[in-house]
Amino acid sequence: MNPICGDWRLQMKTPIGTIEADYHFEEHDGVVTGTANGAGEAVALTDLVTGDTPDGQHAAWRQQITRPLRLNLEYDVSITGDTLTGESRAGRLPRTRVTGRRITA
Amino acid sequence: MSVQIVLFDGFDPLDVIAPFEVFVAGSEYFLDNALDITLVSAEGARDVVSGSQGLRLRATAALDPHRPGIVLVPGASGPVDGDPDEGAETIPVLLARFAATGAIPLIANAMRDPDVLVTAVCGGSLALAMGGLCEGRNVVTHTLGMPLLEATGATAGSARVGDAGALVAAGGVSSGLALALSLLDRHFGPRIAHAVEELFEYEGRGTAWRAVGKAPATVPEAPTP
Repeated sequence: MNPICGDWRLQMKTPIGTIEADYHFEEHDGVVTGTANGAGEAVALTDLVTGDTPDGQHAAWRQQITRPLRLNLEYDVSITGDTLTGESRAGRLPRTRVTGRRITA
Repeated sequence: MSVQIVLFDGFDPLDVIAPFEVFVAGSEYFLDNALDITLVSAEGARDVVSGSQGLRLRATAALDPHRPGIVLVPGASGPVDGDPDEGAETIPVLLARFAATGAIPLIANAMRDPDVLVTAVCGGSLALAMGGLCEGRNVVTHTLGMPLLEATGATAGSARVGDAGALVAAGGVSSGLALALSLLDRHFGPRIAHAVEELFEYEGRGTAWRAVGKAPATVPEAPTP
């Protein structure tokens, strides 16, 4: 099972301040998929790739949100146990920090 | 014909007043009062506080998305720097707040109405883009807003006035004059726009960008620093 599988709460900085969203990742037949839930909107992640790197498990994806505002976002994060850190980027704006922790139902 | 200028909390006064003056001058001096120019808000008649030193203007009616004519959306004024997490009400914060109001569905209706032309000055188009109304459109905004505009799925252009059909958007601050002059030209012809230019001792500059005709064979690129 890919270590990203499960539920996460992520915080990411955007031009209008930090926003929070819950993510769910699952794996079927070796393919990892994910969805994000934030501001009353559920969005499927696209171009999701995961892999082992020397600094741990890595994941990158894209997502298009319409709430709280319309943005194209790109993520690149590393997973260590129950925490996740990395960067997100809206279009060609500067990269900003993302942090997350695993949540249990 | 009607011109409705949409006020929202934190609007930039010049984005409102520059086009307002151009339309008023065109209408009163040269068009026998052909224009009915009003300040409106999504919420109806109310005093609306701008983003500049608390200056207020009064909206006298609710925005009517099906009133034939022009709807003009100004940008916001406020700090450019500062951390919204620490309470800084930056221009993107003000625009996003406006984009979350009932103005967006009203303006979406106006954009679908063939008798209404939606226009924007400065950050106005960025607010519409944040509200999802500029998907795939060629849109102009203030130069500082271009990277964020692109991140909303719009195609950011650099003209002073950009005409993308259902949305005519202008760049930063002073381009509100150019926008209103080009709208007078579009609806009433160049002699009316020119008469206002003479009266204002100001000449609109720059060619309005439109997605017609030949595209330039090459576009020079700025050197990367």
